[in-house]
Amino acid sequence: MAELKVLFKDIDVPGIQTLEVYEQHGGYSALRKALGMTRQQVIDEVKASGLRGRGGAGFPAWIKWNGIPKDESQPHYVQCNADEGEPGTFKDRELMLRHPHQLIEGIIIAGYATLSKVGYIYIRGEYTEPARVMRRAIDEAYRAGYLGKNILGSGVDFDLYIHMGAGSYECGEESAMMSSIMGERGQPRLKFPHAPLPTIAGLWNCPTLINNVETLSCVPAIIRNGGAWYASMGTEKSTGTKIFSVSGHVNKPGNYEVEMGTPLMELLELAGGVKGKLKAVIPGGSSVPILPADKCDVNLDYESLQAAGTMLGSGGFMVLNDTVCIVKFMRRTAAFYAHESCGKCTPCREGTRWMVKIFDRILAGGGRMEDIDLLLDICDQIDGRSYCALGDAAAWPIRASIKHFRHEYEYFIKHGHSMVEAQAEHSVGGR
Amino acid sequence: MAEQELVTIEINGIELQVPKGEMIIESAKRIGVDIPFFCYHPRLGKEQAANCRMCLVEAGTKQPDGSVRMMPKPQTSCTLPASQGLVVFTDTVAIQKARRGILEFLLINHPLDCPICDRGGECPLQNNTLFYGPGVSRFVEEKRHLPKAFPISDYVVLDRERCIHCARCTRFSQEISGDAQLEFLKRGADTMVSTFQNTEFTSRFSGNTIELCPVGALTSRVYRFRARPWDMKSQKSICTRCSNGCNIWLDYRPNRLVRVLGRENEAVNEEWTCDRGKFGHEYISSDRRLLSPLVRRDNRFVTASWVEVYQLIASRIRQAVEERGAGAVGAIGGAHLSNEEAYLLQKLMRVAVGTNNIDHRLERNQVAGGDTLLARLGVPFTQTAIADIEKAKTIFIFGADLVDEQPIVFLRARKAWFRFGAKVIIAHPEPTETELRFDEPLVLRYRAGTETTLINGLSHLILQSGRAVTDGISLEELQASLSEYTPARVAQETGVAEDALREAANLLGEGTVILCAGRVRNHPEYAVLANALVNLTLLTGNGSRGNGGLNILLPEVNSHGAADMGVLPDLLPGYVPVNDREARERIERIWKASLPAEPGLSTQGMLEAAAEGKLQVLYVIGEDIAQKYHDPELAQRALENAGFVIVQDLFLTDTAQYADVVLPAASVAEKEGTFTNTERRVQRFWKAMNPPSPDVKPDLNIFAELAVYLGKPLPVFSAEQVMEEIGQVFPAYAECCYDQMPAEGVRWMPTLTDRGK
Ligand SMILES: Cc1cc2nc3c(=O)[nH]c(=O)nc-3n(C[C@H](O)[C@H](O)[C@H](O)COP(=O)(O)O)c2cc1C
Ligand code: SF4
Ligand code: SF4
Ligand code: SF4
Ligand code: FES
Repeated sequence: MAELKVLFKDIDVPGIQTLEVYEQHGGYSALRKALGMTRQQVIDEVKASGLRGRGGAGFPAWIKWNGIPKDESQPHYVQCNADEGEPGTFKDRELMLRHPHQLIEGIIIAGYATLSKVGYIYIRGEYTEPARVMRRAIDEAYRAGYLGKNILGSGVDFDLYIHMGAGSYECGEESAMMSSIMGERGQPRLKFPHAPLPTIAGLWNCPTLINNVETLSCVPAIIRNGGAWYASMGTEKSTGTKIFSVSGHVNKPGNYEVEMGTPLMELLELAGGVKGKLKAVIPGGSSVPILPADKCDVNLDYESLQAAGTMLGSGGFMVLNDTVCIVKFMRRTAAFYAHESCGKCTPCREGTRWMVKIFDRILAGGGRMEDIDLLLDICDQIDGRSYCALGDAAAWPIRASIKHFRHEYEYFIKHGHSMVEAQAEHSVGGR
Repeated sequence: MAEQELVTIEINGIELQVPKGEMIIESAKRIGVDIPFFCYHPRLGKEQAANCRMCLVEAGTKQPDGSVRMMPKPQTSCTLPASQGLVVFTDTVAIQKARRGILEFLLINHPLDCPICDRGGECPLQNNTLFYGPGVSRFVEEKRHLPKAFPISDYVVLDRERCIHCARCTRFSQEISGDAQLEFLKRGADTMVSTFQNTEFTSRFSGNTIELCPVGALTSRVYRFRARPWDMKSQKSICTRCSNGCNIWLDYRPNRLVRVLGRENEAVNEEWTCDRGKFGHEYISSDRRLLSPLVRRDNRFVTASWVEVYQLIASRIRQAVEERGAGAVGAIGGAHLSNEEAYLLQKLMRVAVGTNNIDHRLERNQVAGGDTLLARLGVPFTQTAIADIEKAKTIFIFGADLVDEQPIVFLRARKAWFRFGAKVIIAHPEPTETELRFDEPLVLRYRAGTETTLINGLSHLILQSGRAVTDGISLEELQASLSEYTPARVAQETGVAEDALREAANLLGEGTVILCAGRVRNHPEYAVLANALVNLTLLTGNGSRGNGGLNILLPEVNSHGAADMGVLPDLLPGYVPVNDREARERIERIWKASLPAEPGLSTQGMLEAAAEGKLQVLYVIGEDIAQKYHDPELAQRALENAGFVIVQDLFLTDTAQYADVVLPAASVAEKEGTFTNTERRVQRFWKAMNPPSPDVKPDLNIFAELAVYLGKPLPVFSAEQVMEEIGQVFPAYAECCYDQMPAEGVRWMPTLTDRGK
């Protein structure tokens, strides 16, 4: 099987970042079409497409769209999540850097469907170059009348703002992002049933549609070709295509758009095959459980990956060969979550730092056998008890790594050094 | 009040009905189920809560078929609203484990310095660990280290090692006090509470964060290391530092006040105190307290016995009355006395001395007590109950820096805006701190001296808009009298833009609460301004009905009580004019004495007379007039030239330096009685400690004993008995009998006057 390009269909067209070239390739025809449809028709088309959120959770997009109140007693907002902080994920970067108008068109359509007049693209702070491209594209779209007052004479208004992040992974979490946009400390907010859904009370307590860059970038093609067309790709419950950001020990790392349900091993081949011997794959960004090589015979869609004990997540597809020491790898992962914990809730704030300290001690040769179960128990005490999903995400990878590679931990603790590195030294004749 | 919708929920198998939306942590209390918590606080918004995760419960919902669908994760009960069919389990094995986990997490970086921690013994972290925590910790790493005992103000010291990041203090400073002085810095395990760039914590309400902090992270520098909670006693009291009447606890060791804590009273201070109150009662246990009576001999003070001083005072008063008449004697004071004492003081002066020369006022305005308001609105000073400020549609803060002058009233005003969306207008000639505590209030920056013009201008606009209400005033007459206050002219005179005037006028209406303080009380043309304010109040429909009202807030702890008790030269207790024969005779019958019928001298009058050598005896009780009188120089001249000066106080004040006799009085902690706060609420306080020496007496005893020496005994056995007599003389106080007084106190209603509400 090869790539199946929907989002990337025109990505290699020279100058597709410019409005002119984008329009030559059918750009903004979806918007014109949508403006000729009723709002509900647009939502129904998204429903028919079966599109699910690409930010990580895979929530059906149309349910959020449809959940926005159908009256205009309050302002409505579209919040496009372009924070892309998930380690191993770099698809939104490419979508913004190389195909900005596709995203803008998707956002405007979403705004039309949800009666929103204002949209925010919250761009990861480090993404200065994609932000510059987006800025240029937004300016072009304003000049061409796709943004601003009375879009294309339809009577519909829509303004789009870029809000730059400041380097916090947690601000990619949708409610923390709301706090950040509103000028508050970048910490998450109460969720349903403790507070209304963002579709009812999001930004400034007004209805807010929150979708990922990739999710929204799918929208123009869906409107142009119809939801049924989109749903004809992929599997029954995971429709369409998905971009995987393949990194690590492969010969051709990069973003690959494949049909949902593509076998994992085929994606590895597309990326030029594994460098060396495959040890494990982390298919959906650092937050999802690790998949050891012997479990990699699985298809890439929400359901299959879940059945295999991991998740599709953001599509940050990290490939590990047998030179990787799982203990050291997990120490790095734990350090990431400890560093990115916003500090609001007890389990994540204290638990993530504690785990790093345990890892550091193990790495320094001071590990105790009971540390393995202690790590597992700390994971249990964080998972499901924390305020937002960052805590859960800090626990899952470590727990899975112990489940699949416990012997590496035991070796490290017993010998005070890495099993993998010891073997490597041995195989090169023990320097 | 609208009936609240009830829902049926189940907690640990017990079915109960609770208001829809009530937090489950509260519902659990109803059936005696204890859910441990740290960050939850019913007065703080839940938006920033749910962070400690101590209150987790398992929850699910009943399905139509009777089965229960459980939520996949445990839920924080402090933010989980009650809904129909909610099923909650608070004590499952999983929850017990979760609680142990949370406490283990909270303790891994905790210094566990309980033996030297001021919170020890009353620490939620200790308590929850005792009941729900793990017996041992599995943490073997290095703990977090931060500077200990980091002072962030004169009052507060921060120990970041002990902080559990519950955000109570930061939420208080953002939501309640509004000064946003505390915020979290950094993130993750490095998160720490801080002021902006470690500058001084200058909140006027910082003491509350000490009480809110569930650990010993924020502690009091004043109380530091003074006591352990188990070896001190507590007594209920009332703060004496302003007229709001906050309820407090006095915590003391045998004869030393060690700290003040806020005490709950929903009607007054909820549970808050301002820093003046919290830290401002150190005087009680000061070692500079007077310990015995003093008499001036050869220009030095020497100690004397009470018998000696009483005899001396009595003879000097008798001599003055004989030589110059009772008008040659005068008494100043009362705003710091209890009601019972203030009552007895005026009775002493009127009955035993025979003069109406008595006044408690030190400010400039000394027109007859509460004159304009009493006549036109039926209340002496304030229409709105403090708690009702919350219900205001518009808060109009006029000429007051409320956060400074009336801190607890300010908190209610801010709550009305922050929680309930009231509109806020602030009129003041200068920028005030209060303005900073609201987001973009409508500010009217008028020129000082144009107060009346401003108010008349607003009334004029409301009349013009046709929104004016007839409430005991003739709108035509008013229209005519205000016709010249056109917006253009008012804008020109006051310096407030016409637009702003119109915007303000639009916000004024039914439900407007007007809050004024010192600037209005001391206005050179108080009566004119007060009339203008009353007009505005009436024509916005806040006269006898409505949620709004006019409030001229008072300065001292018992300013209101002193006025109620008739510590005024022209009014007897209950605002009875001394020259109203019939009413006076009623009181004469109760007192079995005849009373002087001519109004006496006001404070200003007495001081002027004394300065001219016309006052033979000047008796000053609990007021440092040499410092605090609005014209201190006049007070000093008066003290110099008065024939004989008696000063009764806790300290050898500047005023006492002029005295011939100094009488040592007991503090609020050493006696009992009642105070009447600025909203007319009569509240009890109780005796905590003995006075610092047996020769220090409550003012009540001093007045009663002096009466004996003056040959007109006023038999008094207790404050309680005086209150009963007050109730007879001034029936509005009849409900204030000690055995009937509810915990919230009694807000007396001016039924006697029958002039509105
Ligand atoms: C800690 C954390 C970080 C997240 N970061 C991102 C992110 O960088 N980009 C993103 O699209 N979604 C992120 N999410 C998911 C968002 O909360 C949210 O589910 C998503 O933006 C919804 O859009 P979608 O429905 O289109 O996927 C994150 C979630 C968590 C818990
Ligand atoms: S789990 Fe808690 S500490 Fe961690 S990021 Fe979420 S809210 Fe912050
Ligand atoms: S805060 Fe509580 S637990 Fe911590 S040292 Fe003080 S008393 Fe002990
Ligand atoms: S200082 Fe006290 S109140 Fe403030 S966050 Fe820390 S523990 Fe909570
Ligand atoms: S009390 Fe509920 S989370 Fe802190």
